[in-house]
Amino acid sequence: MKQSILHMDLDTFYVSVERLLDSRLEKKPILLGGTSDRGVVASCSYEARKFGVHSGMPMRQAQQLCPEGIVIRGNTSNYTKYSKLVTDILKEHVPILEKSSIDEFYADLSGMDKFFGCYQYASELRSTIIKETGLPISFGLSINKTVSKVATGEAKPNNQIKIDLGQEKLFLAPLSVKKIPMVGDKMFQTLCNMGVKQIRTVQAMPLEMMEDVFGKNGKTVWKKANGIDHSPVIPFSERKSISTERTFDKDTIDIQKLEALITSMAENLAFQLRRGTKLTACVTIKIRYSNFNTYTKQVKIPYTSADHILIPAALNLFRQLNDKRLLIRLVGLRFSNLVHGNYQINLFDDAQEQLALYQAMDKIRERHGERSIVRAIGMGRSSIGRFTNPFNGDPPIVLAKRRQ
Amino acid sequence: MRFVVSTTQLLKKLQLISGVISSNTVLPILEDFLFDIQDGKIKVFATDLETSMSTEIDAESKETGRIAIPAKILLDTLKTLPEQPLTFAFDEKTFGIEISSSTGKYKLAGENPEDFPKIPTTEDATEVEIPSEVLGRAIGQTLFAVSNDELRPAMTGVLFQLQPDGMTFVSTDASKLVKYKRTDVVAQEAASFIVPKKALQLLKGSLPTENTQVQVSYNSSNAFFSFAETQLICRLVDAKYPDYNAVIPVDNDNLLTVGRMDFLNTLKRVSIFSNKTTYQCVLNIAGTELKVSSQDLDFSNEAFERLNCTYDGDDLEIAFNARFLIEMLGVLETEEIKIELSSPTRAGILVPGDTEDGEQLLMLVMPVMLNH
Repeated sequence: MKQSILHMDLDTFYVSVERLLDSRLEKKPILLGGTSDRGVVASCSYEARKFGVHSGMPMRQAQQLCPEGIVIRGNTSNYTKYSKLVTDILKEHVPILEKSSIDEFYADLSGMDKFFGCYQYASELRSTIIKETGLPISFGLSINKTVSKVATGEAKPNNQIKIDLGQEKLFLAPLSVKKIPMVGDKMFQTLCNMGVKQIRTVQAMPLEMMEDVFGKNGKTVWKKANGIDHSPVIPFSERKSISTERTFDKDTIDIQKLEALITSMAENLAFQLRRGTKLTACVTIKIRYSNFNTYTKQVKIPYTSADHILIPAALNLFRQLNDKRLLIRLVGLRFSNLVHGNYQINLFDDAQEQLALYQAMDKIRERHGERSIVRAIGMGRSSIGRFTNPFNGDPPIVLAKRRQ
Repeated sequence: MRFVVSTTQLLKKLQLISGVISSNTVLPILEDFLFDIQDGKIKVFATDLETSMSTEIDAESKETGRIAIPAKILLDTLKTLPEQPLTFAFDEKTFGIEISSSTGKYKLAGENPEDFPKIPTTEDATEVEIPSEVLGRAIGQTLFAVSNDELRPAMTGVLFQLQPDGMTFVSTDASKLVKYKRTDVVAQEAASFIVPKKALQLLKGSLPTENTQVQVSYNSSNAFFSFAETQLICRLVDAKYPDYNAVIPVDNDNLLTVGRMDFLNTLKRVSIFSNKTTYQCVLNIAGTELKVSSQDLDFSNEAFERLNCTYDGDDLEIAFNARFLIEMLGVLETEEIKIELSSPTRAGILVPGDTEDGEQLLMLVMPVMLNH
């Protein structure tokens, strides 16, 4: 039996939410993202895209391209709220739902065409979402995730497309290779140099050639170009790691400030672990210097979720890794190798008072928010913290105010 | 230089000490046995620089000589040969070895015996005697709790505390601890030292089955264990053992008594459904019922079992790594065991239901911290 996979994507999601909250923003070019010197555009309206602005572009450049654009800082918690509204509607109506990011969904509608046809069902679902949330949404419907995603891209803005069974290759053929998910700037460049511009060419190429040029990825891209994709719709994806990072407005070598920041990051991530009853066995620190060279270093530790092990481990790694006399642009911290479990108490290192203190601190955080009690060294580092439990199965949230 | 020796006798003795030789060594000669032939006896040595073992075999020989023979080739050959006298001949200049059996000849290259590391000797060592049965039991009860953490060397061995009023053997890895005390074996002089895990594993494997006295000598850097014709020499762990007495809680108000095999089998079953990394199991004790439960969220596995027990104390919920409990219950021997508990974040203490005279055993296990 052929599958029916639906891909839905909220158009210019952040901008649409802002427009819902303030109708004056309708039909105006809007640049949403970080407003500091290093801010990047997280989302922009179609009016702004006419000027050549695209998301991921530095905000400064975007403002030069589109001087009349209205710059909005954005508020992540609003977006989370609206995203949840849409998710709830979808959950109610489809059998298997995968939320692949804050504004993107896959649904497996296989077998539902018996009743009234998948396309009609999806169209009705789309109208329901538009009616109930007021947010524009587009969808693509086909036999697998890749084709549906590409179809949604073609349907936008605020429209829908169905790729008929057997027409997948024909549909993809005239499109640019850039439209294949997975083809990034680098691969696109290489393909262009090879004279490959349209997906049609990739379809005609032998699989071996793609594999020779791009290795394992080439094989996957070739399959996608031919409309072959067997990946299932995954309703709940377990997080494999949790991480946080921070780009500074101004590069710094203030070690005290950096170490305070890392302490604060480790403290917060360790709390996230405990809240999700997780333990980590791998700590990774990341440093990006002002010349954009990025280094990471990781260490394996026995499974733990305790502050007094994770904070020194993170600081130690940072001290080992930071051996260049250069200004630092970004630091990041990641805990990976996660398993379910609680902290194994150490016979010699853990005093009862300390354990009681940890428990009390976590209780306060559960009740009054994760920033309600922090180590004094980390006070005032407001951008640390992630608003939601990272282990609820939702995809990680992309901060609206992120910096490059 | 030639000598003649029986295959089975040689194999038996070599297998007793071959455990010392590790498969990937820094020095090639550490893969060899050192044969030292003197007065119709062969003394064979094996070492990994930390631990050394030696043994003696009767042989027919008129000369004296030394040679290093590759262990693996020799053992593999002996294993397949039937019982017979075997003639070894070697050249003391080229170190070429020729072994003659009733059916053929085997040639292999030996190594210079002068390159073989020097085995430490018992200088200014103090000596005590411990019955092999006591030593074997002490090792058996403590070895499983020894840590593998190289960052805390003190815990990578078993602490021997010799005292005029008894001997105490302690092992811990900071999550669990075992203290085994014998009051029926005493030392003249008080002393304490840490014997590394590998040496004790080897010692346990080579101790004779019938009870004999083991001569234990020690100085500041080495310990020597001698029995029958076998000797084991090991370097002591040069570190300060943590103050284990301070961390054993004394005021445990809650006392649980439960059948050992019942509890062990329950844990074995329930832990199959726990997370395969943490083996976390929760004990709920209320009234006369002990409930053991576990879950593995990644695979949606879940299990619980109820057990009858005798319990004197407040209702309690406490979680442990089930593997630790299983190891401990497996080592304990009595029909019933007692578990002393105080709070969900404090150690649980396992002791046998009844003890033999002169023997005290205490096992301690740290819980995992449940968050509520």
